[in-house]
Amino acid sequence: MTESDAAAEPLSLHRRAVAAAVTGWLGAHRTAVAAGTWAALAALVAVLAYGAVSTDGFLTVANGKAILASVGVVGIVAVGMTFVMLGGNLFSLSLGTTLAVSAIAFLDFLHLGVAAAAVLAAAIGAAVSGAQGVAVGAFGVNPIVVTIGAGALQEGVVVKLTGGRTIVPSAPLSSYRFLVTPLLGLPFPVYVLAGVALSAELVLRYTTFGRELYLVGENRRAARAAGLRVAGVTTAAFAVAGLCAGVAGILSGSYNQGASLTLSGTYTYDAISAAIVGGNAITGGRGSVGRTLFGAIVMATLSDLMLLRHYGTGAQILVKGVIVLVFVSLLNARRGGSDG
Amino acid sequence: MRRPTGRRSGRSPVRHGLPFLTLALMVAAFVIVPAASDRSISHANLYDISQQVASLGTLVLALGLTMIAGEFDLSVPATYQLGSMVAVTTGVGSPAAGVVAGVAAGAAAGVVQGLVVTRLRVNSMCVTLGGYLGIVGLVFVVGHSSGVGYPRFDVGARLEQPLVEGVISLRSLVVIGCFLAVAAVFTLTRLGPEVRATGSDRRAARVAGIEVERLLVGVFAASGALAALGGALQGYALAVATPSTATDSLIFAATAALLGGVSLRGGEGTVAGIAAGTLTLGVLAELLAVMAFGDYITSLVTGALLVVVALAGAPDLSDRLVELLHPLRASYRLRGRPVGADDR
Amino acid sequence: MHLLGDGLGPGDGAPPEAQPIREPLHPRLPEGGPAAANARTALLRVEHLAKRFGAIVAIDDVSLELRAGEIHGLCGHNGAGKSTLVRVLMGLVQPDSGGVLLDGRPLSLRGARDAQAHGLAFVDQELSVVPALTVEENLFLGDTRAGLVRRRSSQRRLAGSALERVGLGGLAPTRAVEALSVGERQLLEIARALHRQARLLILDEPTATLTQVEIDKVFAAVREVAASGFGVIFVSHRLGEVLDLCHRVTVLRDGRVAGSHSVSDLDRDRLVELLVGEAGSEPGAARPPARRRRPAAAGTVSLRAVVPPGWSAPCDLELGAGEVVGLAGQVGSGASELLRALGGLSPKARGEVSLDGRTLPLGSVRAAIRAGVVYISNDRKGEGLFLGRSVAENLVASRLSSISRGGALPPRAVRGAAGRLASRVAVDPRRLSQPAATLSGGNQQKVFIGRAVDRERTRLLLLDEPTRGVDVSGRTEIHALVRLFADGGATVVFSSTDLEELLDLADLVVTVFEQRIVSKRPREAVVPSTLLAEMTMGGPEPVVAP
Repeated sequence: MTESDAAAEPLSLHRRAVAAAVTGWLGAHRTAVAAGTWAALAALVAVLAYGAVSTDGFLTVANGKAILASVGVVGIVAVGMTFVMLGGNLFSLSLGTTLAVSAIAFLDFLHLGVAAAAVLAAAIGAAVSGAQGVAVGAFGVNPIVVTIGAGALQEGVVVKLTGGRTIVPSAPLSSYRFLVTPLLGLPFPVYVLAGVALSAELVLRYTTFGRELYLVGENRRAARAAGLRVAGVTTAAFAVAGLCAGVAGILSGSYNQGASLTLSGTYTYDAISAAIVGGNAITGGRGSVGRTLFGAIVMATLSDLMLLRHYGTGAQILVKGVIVLVFVSLLNARRGGSDG
Repeated sequence: MRRPTGRRSGRSPVRHGLPFLTLALMVAAFVIVPAASDRSISHANLYDISQQVASLGTLVLALGLTMIAGEFDLSVPATYQLGSMVAVTTGVGSPAAGVVAGVAAGAAAGVVQGLVVTRLRVNSMCVTLGGYLGIVGLVFVVGHSSGVGYPRFDVGARLEQPLVEGVISLRSLVVIGCFLAVAAVFTLTRLGPEVRATGSDRRAARVAGIEVERLLVGVFAASGALAALGGALQGYALAVATPSTATDSLIFAATAALLGGVSLRGGEGTVAGIAAGTLTLGVLAELLAVMAFGDYITSLVTGALLVVVALAGAPDLSDRLVELLHPLRASYRLRGRPVGADDR
Repeated sequence: MHLLGDGLGPGDGAPPEAQPIREPLHPRLPEGGPAAANARTALLRVEHLAKRFGAIVAIDDVSLELRAGEIHGLCGHNGAGKSTLVRVLMGLVQPDSGGVLLDGRPLSLRGARDAQAHGLAFVDQELSVVPALTVEENLFLGDTRAGLVRRRSSQRRLAGSALERVGLGGLAPTRAVEALSVGERQLLEIARALHRQARLLILDEPTATLTQVEIDKVFAAVREVAASGFGVIFVSHRLGEVLDLCHRVTVLRDGRVAGSHSVSDLDRDRLVELLVGEAGSEPGAARPPARRRRPAAAGTVSLRAVVPPGWSAPCDLELGAGEVVGLAGQVGSGASELLRALGGLSPKARGEVSLDGRTLPLGSVRAAIRAGVVYISNDRKGEGLFLGRSVAENLVASRLSSISRGGALPPRAVRGAAGRLASRVAVDPRRLSQPAATLSGGNQQKVFIGRAVDRERTRLLLLDEPTRGVDVSGRTEIHALVRLFADGGATVVFSSTDLEELLDLADLVVTVFEQRIVSKRPREAVVPSTLLAEMTMGGPEPVVAP
């Protein structure tokens, strides 16, 4: 449907415009994304309603705080995952492991001072993930394969270095107490998340890097032809993700008073779910940190309700899996041939 | 219109033989390295290797098939557990019926995912990620978040009994039979070329008249069924089905498939190659165990191997390297150095 | 108006080889069916076919008739309606009016398998043989009649005979197709069609990328196919080949049938005349020159012994500032490869290019951009625009670093830069925030150009088919843009298959054919019919193969 065609037949302009909006390439996708966002909102409302009606203690301030608290660490990882997804690299399956690695590093280096330990831990996270970004960006290797391999590699190195022990903080709690002290009734990580999310969104909207990331995610070939630094942008996106995982690891390790590989938990999948449910395009080029936060809140609310209703681990994972499947299909269905 | 370009494929003798060469090297290492360090290998080690193949062989085959078709099934570790859980819970009276039920459940899971991929045209990695989570969740639910025991120890004993000089078990033989069956389908029916065509050049496959959507659903169903079969047998052998979120098996499967000549681009790979890749990794794992390096070394080595193999198979590796180095050459030129006719 | 040539009698239109027309084999009929049918029954009849896409009339009242055993050529410019007609025949597009009859029965198809079942086979430049498979596997791939099990031994035999029929008898069926040349792959596709006992074979520009030897083989195979009782439609812009191979030719011009004749009634000049229309025979074209040619500063852009990938001979050109050069070449001629090489997209290009005395390194896009070279691809959707992003973002995509201050990119700066670029290329500023996908083809192309060109820095602007998929008004605007940039001192090199566009826009017309330069002349000296002959045959006289 072209402008000039519309101009040539003004009587049907309106009809054609509507047709274009509904059936055009972008039309289908935008409608799908819009539909997905409405669906997520509807899901949230439904969950809230169901919870309020069926479960005592759900719709209370205390519970609300609990939900926000649970978003904290996961949300930070999810913000990082957003950068990977926006750049058209699907997702990193090793961010959870990187979180654990950073946590171990942080606790182990605490005796050097909180600031130094934090910087080192975050830098390690950024470096480990950034290296994976090089493989994906410069050499075009499949990100899933690189990240699961790198994940296993990290695990091996960690076990070798730690002998499989849980690492305990190498300095007394007093030096890093502020990390685990609630502030105004909310856990510290929530504030860190707010800061991280805000900075991330600013970077995405107002820097060259952010703009290039969206463009590379939208159409890698065109980006290359336009002279954009595809490899550099991809590496940076992965490095940012690793940085976020590092920050999350610092917080998680502090809370836990100990760190080992098990700390990685389900962070990777939760972060991916948050990004997907929030409405970020899984193939890249569209989305934002705000969307991811929204997705994280939806998922956290759901988890909270399931916990209150004493759902087992299995049921929780099952529900999360179904949600991911449904949302991935809803938001990313395409018209036209799926040729390769 | 573009001029048709030939895609580099794995049919050249070198690439075709690479998995077997790798296997030979690995076997050689397995023989030489322990001997050089004064450790001995025995029939027990060979039995361990065949057990490794029995446990993970069908997983590699499942993932490998989807990769040859140009997709990627992240849910195979989950479908494996599903097969295990279903077989263990329904196979008390008749073990055979339990296996059938498990395989059917796996196939069904595959069909559902396949339909989402083809009808809704969503990237298979994303769909199967959701599938992975959903199926693992289902397994947890059915198993009440802990293991489900299988009381029929006799079945397990029969499956695991060492045969043929104590080197191989019945379970391994079944898995080998699986490989042979799939290989037969691949080479003796039209499905083999159709799957490879679908993975290699989907547009051309469609134009040639292949029903690509139906074929893909079938491939996902086969993947689910194969993974579930392996899981069912494992459940019987260990006399328990345990839900878990570990992804080690996925790493093993991906590495074995890549070593076996399957490519992430699709359209390349053979069942024999996949078998060689599986065996190679099995031998490697046993070698590391014999050398007693420590627990971590298997993750380390497998992870590193996966990254290396994936890098080696990167598209246009040489062009990318040239491109990366080019800015250095270009800026050198712009500084006014005289250009010779064959500077390239 | 039913144009079927000149009073066709029973003897007219018969294949020059004077072979009896055998009963075409139909997959559904039992072997050894009734004796040879009435030779006058048309295999394919197209009646008053018409199709419009919006305001654009693709084909209007097109009719033709094809007999079994006949090789029917279909010629016409790009945009004359050839591909639309073919797509209607293959069921990819439904006509607005008129119909197609196969064996006297109306035909309506729903896709590739349907077409196969009706006995239609289609071979075009985008081959559908799978390189990762062997010859044999490709021959039998997707055959709707095949059973599940492959009977290897009988397949081997059948493969052998199918390959023989197309002149590939010496080819081992177990060879991987990736090892075959383009010509061999095309023959393989024809062999596949033969094996499926297709009744109608449509070849769409099959020889554009083939060597002469391969072309001879394809022709032999096509003649064999026709002799077996198939009908063949041979779509081509290479008039020499059409005259060589076909029994009858239908020429389309502006969506209508300009003429449909037996080849014995035609010669090259007449054919060119039908294609171009009467106005095409004077030098300088029938329109006043669009702008005065500025005297160009000599030697500003210099190409010496430049060999883009695939070219058979090196290219030497000396171009001046402000000069507009049109590369006249059909699809596959090599013009596109030359432009891409100059734009830095071909690491394997060889030769020496200099701009204002400084060497331009080949093989790096970023180096080219730094040197002021801009390449606008012919694939704006795949390689050019970011369709999901806003028009503003698309416009500024190439110059983010120059807009930004220390890494930060204030939206005001983006809007400002986008606004300036939009006005430079006459794109409505109200559309800046809309996704690029909502623009018309012409506007998309303008955005693509606007993004790439920097008034001050651009020295060499390379446009690969600048008005492809653009309607008439968009075309005018883009031509004006090009002239504007040239007046500003940039050298412009564009490729086009459209004679009108070449004559309208170019100061210097360089003809490219079979990966080498065939002629260079200023616009005033161009005779359209000669130009067309050079683009489609290499010259007014047939080119002798090396």
